[in-house]
Amino acid sequence: MTIIILLLIPLVACGLTTVMRTRQWMEIVHLASAGASLVAALLLAAEVLRQGPVSSINGFLYADHLSALVALLTAFVYLACAPYAVGYLRRDQALLFLAPSDDDLAALSKQRMYYTLTPLFVFCMFLVVVSNNLGVMWIAIEGTTLASIFLVTFYGRPTSLEAAWKYAMIGGVGLSMALFGTVLTYYSAHLVLGGDSLSALNWSVLVQQAPHFDKAVMRLAFILILLGYGTKAGLAPMHTWKPDAYCEAPVPVAALMATAVLNCAIYGLARFYVLTIRCLGTAFASNLLMLFGLLSVAVAVPFILVQRSSRRLLAYSSIDNGGIMVLGLGFGGAFGALAMLLHMTYHSVTKPLLFFTVGNIQQHTGSDSLRKGARGLIHVLPISAPMFLLGALAVTGTPPFSMFQSEFMVLRAGFMGQHVGVSVLLIICVVTIFCGFFHHVAQLVLGPPSGAEREPIDRWKTYPVIGLALLVIVMGFLMPASLYQLVDGAARVLAVPQ
Amino acid sequence: MHFWQDAQFGNRMITLMAAVVLVLQIMMVTQRWLITNIRAFALQSFLMACIATTIAYYNNAPHIYAAAVLMLLVKVILLPVLFERLVTRIDILQEIEPLVNAPISVIIAGLLTLLAYVVAESFHRPDEPMGPASLGHNTLAVAIALFLIGFFMMVNRRKALTQVLALLSLENGIFLAAISLTYGMPMIVEIGIFFDVLVGAMVLAILVYRIRETFDSMDVSRLSRLKG
Repeated sequence: MTIIILLLIPLVACGLTTVMRTRQWMEIVHLASAGASLVAALLLAAEVLRQGPVSSINGFLYADHLSALVALLTAFVYLACAPYAVGYLRRDQALLFLAPSDDDLAALSKQRMYYTLTPLFVFCMFLVVVSNNLGVMWIAIEGTTLASIFLVTFYGRPTSLEAAWKYAMIGGVGLSMALFGTVLTYYSAHLVLGGDSLSALNWSVLVQQAPHFDKAVMRLAFILILLGYGTKAGLAPMHTWKPDAYCEAPVPVAALMATAVLNCAIYGLARFYVLTIRCLGTAFASNLLMLFGLLSVAVAVPFILVQRSSRRLLAYSSIDNGGIMVLGLGFGGAFGALAMLLHMTYHSVTKPLLFFTVGNIQQHTGSDSLRKGARGLIHVLPISAPMFLLGALAVTGTPPFSMFQSEFMVLRAGFMGQHVGVSVLLIICVVTIFCGFFHHVAQLVLGPPSGAEREPIDRWKTYPVIGLALLVIVMGFLMPASLYQLVDGAARVLAVPQ
Repeated sequence: MHFWQDAQFGNRMITLMAAVVLVLQIMMVTQRWLITNIRAFALQSFLMACIATTIAYYNNAPHIYAAAVLMLLVKVILLPVLFERLVTRIDILQEIEPLVNAPISVIIAGLLTLLAYVVAESFHRPDEPMGPASLGHNTLAVAIALFLIGFFMMVNRRKALTQVLALLSLENGIFLAAISLTYGMPMIVEIGIFFDVLVGAMVLAILVYRIRETFDSMDVSRLSRLKG
C-alpha cells in the first residue's frame, strides 16, 4: 500500500500543477508533494526493515532493502531541491531569464513547466525502483529521460538545445541497447521458465532461476545492459552528454540528475548484475564493471584539472563518483556492495549542496566560470562560498567527511578482492582529482575582496544550503542505526549467496 | 487444407519479409531524400507488423496481434505522418553529404550484416524443438543487422531528422529480435515500449523543429559549441 502512495504523490502533484493559475499555489503543491514523498519513502523503508520485501498488485510492484534505500535517497534529494527551486526560479524571474520582459504570463508558464515536469521526473524514478518487472523498469528509466528533456531546454538558449539533443540521442541509443539486453535476458529466462505471462520478467522470480539461464545469451545481455544503463549513469566513454546537460538545466534539475538519476541507473545495472553473477559467477561481470568504473574515474581526471566552468566541474565529479560506485560493485563481495551503497548514500547528500552553492554563485555573479576574474567570493557570498568549499572537500573524499569513509571502503574491498592494480590506479586518480578540485575551488572562494556587492540573503536559497551542510558534517560522525540497517540489507541483496 | 495453413509456408513468408526489411534498411543508408527515407521507414514498419501477425497466426499467440496493431498505428501511420508534416513545414528536403559516401556506406552495411549473421549463429540450436512457424536464425540475424546498421546510420547522418529515423529503425530491430526470440515480450511491456517510442519520437520532433528555428538548419554538426 505504501508503495502505491509513494508513486501517487508526485503524480498527483504533477496533475494539480497543470491546472493551477498562480505561482504561490504551484510552489505550495510542489513543497507538499516533496515533503509527503519523503514521509512515504521513510514509511516504506520502515516497512521493509520490519517485515522484509513487500510487494503490491500481484507482485507487479516490489520493494526490498535496495529499492527502499534508492527510493529514500530520491525522495531526499527531491525534498532538498523543492525549497531551493522556489528561490531559484523566483530569482530567475527577477533576472528576466524566464521571459524577455515583464511578461508575467510567459514566466508563469515556464514555472508551470518546471513544477509539472519535475514531479513527473521523480515519479519515473520512483517507478524505476519499485517495479518488479525488468521491462517496466526499462520503461521507467526511458521515462526519466523523456520527462527531463524539456527541463534541459528550460532556458531555450541555442546551447541548451544542443545539450538536449545530445542527451536525447546518446540516451536514446544507450537505452535501446539496454532494451535489447532486457529482451535477451527474457529470452535466456524463457528457455527455462517458459510461458509468456507477465511474471516471466519479474526480478523476484528471475533471481531464483538465474543459475539455470542460458549462459551465452546472458553474457551478451549483460554487456548490452552495462552499455545501456552505463550510458544513463554517465560511465565513460558514454559520458559526453552529462556535462552539457548539467550545465544547461536549471540547478535543482541538475542536482536531481547528478544524484537521483545516477542512483536509478546504477540500481538498474545492479539488478542485472545480481542475475548475471548468479548465472555466470562473479569474474565476468566484475571485470567489466571494474573496467568501466576505472575508465570513468580516469576520464574525469584531465577534465577536472583543466576545467573552466564550475558546473561542468561538478558533472565530471559526478562521472568520477559514478565510476567509484561501479568499481565498488565490481570489486564484489558483501563488502564491495556495502561500500558502493554507502558511497551512493553520502554522494546523494553531498552533491546537491555543491549544486545549490554553485547555483547561488552563478545567479549572483552571472557566470559559472572558474577563470574570468572571479576571486575572493567568500567576501561576496559569505554563506554560499564557504559552503561550496566545504562541499568540495567532502565530495573529493577528504576526512573527516563521510565520503572519505566510503571511498576508503571501496579501496579496502579492492585490496581484499586481490585487485591491487586497479585499487592503486584508483588511489592515484582520486588524489589527482582532489588536487584539481581544491585548486579550482580555493582560487574561486578564497582571496582578497574584489569589491563586488554582497549577495542579499534569500531564505529559500540559503536555508537548504545550510541544512545540507549541517547534514554533511553530521553524517561524517554519525550514521543512524536504522539507515545503516537499510544499507546493510541492500548490500545483502547484491551479494552472491554463499 | 489450404496452402497457407502449412507452417512451412509461414516460415517462407517470414523469411521473405525479413529480407525485404533488410533491403529497405540498406536503402535508407544511401537515400538522401528525407521524404523517401520516411516512407521507407513506414514500409519497413508495415512489414514488421505483417511479420508479427504471421507469427501470431501460426503460433496462436494472440498478444502478438496487439503488438502488430500498435506497430501499425504508431510506426506506420502516426509517426510517418508527423514527420512528413514536419519536413514540409521546415522545408528541408535533402540530406547533405553524409560523413561516409554512399558506396562505402553500402559496403559497411554489408559487413555489418555479415557480422550479424556470425552473432546470430551462436544462438542457433538445431536440436531444440521449435514452434510451428519458428523463425530461423535468419530472422534473428536480420534483427541484429537492423540494430547495427541503425547505429551506423546514426553516426553517419548529419540531419537531425534522419538521426531520429535511424534510432527508430534501430528499435525496429529490437522489436524483430523480441518476437523472433521469444514470441514477444509480456503484453504490458510491449504497450509501455510503444508508448515510450511514441512520446520519444514526438519529443525529438519538437527538438528538431526548435533546432531548425534556432540554427536555421537541422544540421547537427552545427551543434558543437559545448566542449570540455
